[in-house]
Amino acid sequence: MSAPAAAPVLSARAVVRARRRAARRRFVADFRAQRAGVAGVAILVVFIGLALLAPVLFGSDQLQVTKATGGTLQPPDGSFPLGTDETGRSVLALVVWGARVSLLVGVAATVISMAIGTLVGIASGHFGSWLGALLERLTDWFLVIPFLPLAIVLATVLGSSLLNVIIVIGVTSWPGTARLVRAQTLSVEARPYLERARVLGGGHWHQMSRHVLPNVMPLVLANTTLTVAIAILSETTLSFLGLGDPFRVSWGSMLDNAFAAGAISAGAWWYLLPPGVCVVIVVLAFTLVGRALENVLDPRSREG
Amino acid sequence: MVLAAAALMLGPLVVDAQSSVPAKAKKVTFTVGIKQDIDSLNPFTGIVASAYEMYQLNYETLTDYSVKDFSAKPALAESWDTSADGLTWTYHLRAGLKWSDGQPLTARDVAYTFNRVRKGKYEQTNFGNYVAAMTSVEAPDDRTVVIKVSKPTPIMLHLYVYILPEHIWKDIDEKKVTDYTNEPTGAGIVGSGPFLVTEHKKGQFVRLRANPMYWGGRPKVDELVFRIFNNEDSLAQALRRGEIDFADDLGSNVFKSLKNAPGVTTFPAKSSGFDEIAMNTGAALDDGTPIGDGHPALKDKRVRVAIAHAVDTKTLVDRVFGGFATAGTSIIPSLYQDLHYDPGSSAYTFDPAEADRLLDAAGYKKAANGIRTMPNGRPLRFRLFGRSNSQNSQQTVQFVQGWLKDIGIDVRSKIVSEDSLTEIIGQGNFDLFEWGWVVEPDPNYQLSTFTCANRSYKDAGTVYANLSDSFYCNKAYDALFTRQSQQVDVAARAETVKAMQKMLYEDAPYVVTAYYDDLEAYRSDRFTGFQAQPSPHGSLLFQYGTHSYRTIRPVTKAAGPKAAQSPRSGLVVGGVIGGAAVLGGLVFLGLRGRRRPRSEVE
Repeated sequence: MSAPAAAPVLSARAVVRARRRAARRRFVADFRAQRAGVAGVAILVVFIGLALLAPVLFGSDQLQVTKATGGTLQPPDGSFPLGTDETGRSVLALVVWGARVSLLVGVAATVISMAIGTLVGIASGHFGSWLGALLERLTDWFLVIPFLPLAIVLATVLGSSLLNVIIVIGVTSWPGTARLVRAQTLSVEARPYLERARVLGGGHWHQMSRHVLPNVMPLVLANTTLTVAIAILSETTLSFLGLGDPFRVSWGSMLDNAFAAGAISAGAWWYLLPPGVCVVIVVLAFTLVGRALENVLDPRSREG
Repeated sequence: MVLAAAALMLGPLVVDAQSSVPAKAKKVTFTVGIKQDIDSLNPFTGIVASAYEMYQLNYETLTDYSVKDFSAKPALAESWDTSADGLTWTYHLRAGLKWSDGQPLTARDVAYTFNRVRKGKYEQTNFGNYVAAMTSVEAPDDRTVVIKVSKPTPIMLHLYVYILPEHIWKDIDEKKVTDYTNEPTGAGIVGSGPFLVTEHKKGQFVRLRANPMYWGGRPKVDELVFRIFNNEDSLAQALRRGEIDFADDLGSNVFKSLKNAPGVTTFPAKSSGFDEIAMNTGAALDDGTPIGDGHPALKDKRVRVAIAHAVDTKTLVDRVFGGFATAGTSIIPSLYQDLHYDPGSSAYTFDPAEADRLLDAAGYKKAANGIRTMPNGRPLRFRLFGRSNSQNSQQTVQFVQGWLKDIGIDVRSKIVSEDSLTEIIGQGNFDLFEWGWVVEPDPNYQLSTFTCANRSYKDAGTVYANLSDSFYCNKAYDALFTRQSQQVDVAARAETVKAMQKMLYEDAPYVVTAYYDDLEAYRSDRFTGFQAQPSPHGSLLFQYGTHSYRTIRPVTKAAGPKAAQSPRSGLVVGGVIGGAAVLGGLVFLGLRGRRRPRSEVE
């Protein structure tokens, strides 16, 4: 903002900017070399685009059971490319609308999970004292609790709504991240420049926010994309078990409804396949992107 | 189907028609697939329908319901007569009745059972309504029971209390009875019915053997097995493969898929149940003290009638029940032809315009946001509760929400468990909810759910739910209720019962949405001789009485094709990929915890 304009000698700020620009360019180039990762990004762009365009492609009227025009579990035909559900709604419209909830829950839950995981991870790595030990035990404790029973209990107690599903997934899926971040924090804090910062009088906050956080950020970013995949699967699982919001269409709730409506016995594959395939594809895409990011951002795995 | 006993001893999961080995005495086993576990074999404890099926198979009653039209029919009592004032009833037992352990079954057992219910506290829960008017029950000789009542009551024709063997139950006193499980030992539970429970594995199966001492003669099948399934699709597959002979309580899509299965006959039985949208007509205690936070607009009959006009019962029948239901009107289903009130031309037709007109005329004007408001400005915004264990309930709720939106009523739907809904209703903290009743042949109980006295009550500062869930209270209705409860003349009582239903229909505390069918399917290539109650469209099993169990017999010609039906490939792929996401989730989540962090030191 207040950088001296047109200075003949590059200011420190400008040097940093230039270095960051170069790093970004290098990152993009490196990522492009990861073909699976690029494919993952392409798939995600398509799904996110569809989710955003859902209201334009299929009016919200199409989700209203009272406005449904199709027959019960009608096989695919011209007017219903993916057939209809048990109340005569278009499965295609449901799948596209379902992408919104599934992606939203996936991303929102991951944000919660990342925030908790990063905070706990850095703090427990940085404070070697009793606080660090306490936080690590907390992480261990959450790690050993089986996820599904905990999530089911939480979802039952909180009640079934979209926000609660997000919270449940968010607060149960952070310990893996915390562990990862803690390990990285320890390795960063062992580096000589942090020792220098400490000697120069850098406080805890300064060390954590200026030195540790930027160094663990790439790892967190790579982990985020992998966690989104897990969060989407969790949402599907919880909704399939009937713990999601029953009035919002998501891929999980579609599978739940299909199962409850006897779509398996009725042979209504068009009702079961699309949500299932979509979950598999999106989870795969997030995993591909996550792995690619890990490869690009983590020098050690790149050499391997 | 003939199955070796040895195969069955291994438990229901390994029962396989193919693996039956030739044994000396081949047993005829009839296997029923059910979705509801038996909660208790103690008739004073159990409450679920599947448990009652066990009780009536194991224990005979004084009188029975006819298979044709539910009229009273001899059972243990071969005849009965009433004094002129209707206050003394004399029942004459059959000669030579025996318990399954060989002990004679006498009038003393009958008197013991009724007196136990009359004097017991715990015993009153399930059978109290039968003995409420009784002042004495005596056995002057082995074959005569004399019951005196305080006022004439039609319930004396239908004393559906399971008669228990005194020589067994006298050892189970009032303290023990609450924990008594009545689990079978040795030759099975000592009883007098056509079948005796010999084995029970919780959540898995119940096995019964034919009772050779049964007064009606030994049944034609040797063994009955009730296998419990927790999922409809596996129930249907078991029927296809021939692992079971009868499937009950199927969903409409599963039912339709069985239509063309070889050897299987599907039967949409008219049932005695109905579903409704109930409204909070002004929650109050039995003494009239208001409770809860129900919306005041629903106290207005005009609003309730408008809602009745806005609910399209025909669409619900088609979409939610897959066509296997009849659009509902009054609270006694059309199955009970003699008691059902048909509003005919005065029925509420689906007519949103009429609903709009009624609400406009009543002064509920639409605000700018399209939602109607009360004259005091409060918007018509209702909470609608559905039940989490019922897919039909959740779908109905979605439809009703859509229709009411069209007439300017904003509905907020919530899905809760039946337990929490019972609590919510009892406290009056609701506006609308979806639920249903199964109506007994005697209308007394169903009619009593709308009396003022059956509203919630307060005991030691706590409000407890009673039978009333709409909090309907109408003095004229209560007067008719008392009248019908004392009318022994069947035709005269039916008139009173119809007048009560008309009153309810016009006041609309309920919108009865559907009289649903009980969807049953059975292996007609193996068994025949079922009796529908009421004939010819009623249920084949789970009836009032054990009619079908006594008459079913194996098909005599060689057993039909029993090769496993291979399911359609499309559905296998669908099932596999659909389930893959969920399974993948579980695996992924399981593995995630094991992702090792990188080494802590570089």
